Amino acid sequence: MIALRDLILAFADDEHLIGQQHTEWIGVTPFLEEDLAFSSIGQDELGHAALLYELALELDDLAPSDTAIDSLAYERPSDEYRSSAFTEYTTNDWAETIVRHWVYDQAEMLRWINVTGSSHQPLAEIVDRVTAEEVYHRLHADAILDSLLANADASSRLVDALERLAPLVPTVLASVDGEDDLVKHRVIRQRTDTLLPDLVTNIDIRFGRTITAPTPSVGRRSRSSSFAPLMSRMREVFDIDPAAIW
Amino acid sequence: MRTAAGSIAAAVDQAIATVDDPEYPGISIVDLGLVETIDIDDATARIGLIPTFSGCPALALIADDVTRAVNAVPGIANTQVVWLRSPNWTADRVSAVAKQALAIDFTVAVRIGPDEPSCPRCGGDTSPRSPFGPSRCRSISMCESCRETVEVMRR
Repeated sequence: MIALRDLILAFADDEHLIGQQHTEWIGVTPFLEEDLAFSSIGQDELGHAALLYELALELDDLAPSDTAIDSLAYERPSDEYRSSAFTEYTTNDWAETIVRHWVYDQAEMLRWINVTGSSHQPLAEIVDRVTAEEVYHRLHADAILDSLLANADASSRLVDALERLAPLVPTVLASVDGEDDLVKHRVIRQRTDTLLPDLVTNIDIRFGRTITAPTPSVGRRSRSSSFAPLMSRMREVFDIDPAAIW
Repeated sequence: MRTAAGSIAAAVDQAIATVDDPEYPGISIVDLGLVETIDIDDATARIGLIPTFSGCPALALIADDVTRAVNAVPGIANTQVVWLRSPNWTADRVSAVAKQALAIDFTVAVRIGPDEPSCPRCGGDTSPRSPFGPSRCRSISMCESCRETVEVMRR
């Protein structure tokens, strides 16, 4: 039960943080279409995070009210989050943002496939809707990479960005404690960290370059140095009135 | 002859049909295909809705509007609205009436299947411009004939 809750929270936290990272580009992307894309994609990821937080609340026998979801999303002590350094990392570099968008959505799809047909019924139930929405994310990420990778200057910036992000990539597919039991009970098809070779292969094909540091990351018990400042920015409005109904 | 329960059920249906989508004033959530289940048990109504997209920011607003409308039905004391995890909303759930109103009042076309919809203004061919639009359920196309910007409701 703890492993299942951790698995769901790990996914929810990553969705929440990447959604937040995307929304920080609203108004400052290089052109209007990207504003629309990042706000829409960020909105989806926050919606998916809310769905997953609901599942976590159900495991705790708590009603999935907006307040309860907010409490999970914003009010846990940092050691109770299960997010990855990959989504905690905050950047104002557009190339890194595009690359992370593409890599994250690839990793996300591998995670959804990994819970398709899950023995945990509520998890299996949300896969169809979420993956139908994710199609647009990958179309967008591929479309912008298609045009930018064809340009020498843009391409070298993107590949440099990929190299900088490479050490963080394995963290997004880090397993939570107890995943072997989840595999045994068919909650997931395979351990999350064993999805990493598929992600690395996809990256190789897309960027024509093998990334270094494909060592599986260990666990999700600690937060990176990016987490505290990110959470403090995310809570800035929430903290004004935590009981407010939005 | 209608039973009392039957007339309450009919009144609940009518009440839900008065709730408009906040994005499209004048178009009911019933016509947009958001209402999936209506269960009435004595004085309790349970309404199951489905979202167009799971991150739609209007969900809480719509649920509040439905709760308020159904609670006003005589004989209903308690309304519970839930957003269902399945089925998925698809654009073919939009009724003919709603499609016409979307076209005339909002210049919004509804795309069903893979084909690009025709222009709600002139009937010309449209081509996609941006997969993302002013709300999560709409993308942006342009009419090749009259050059109108067309919003396309789609899944």
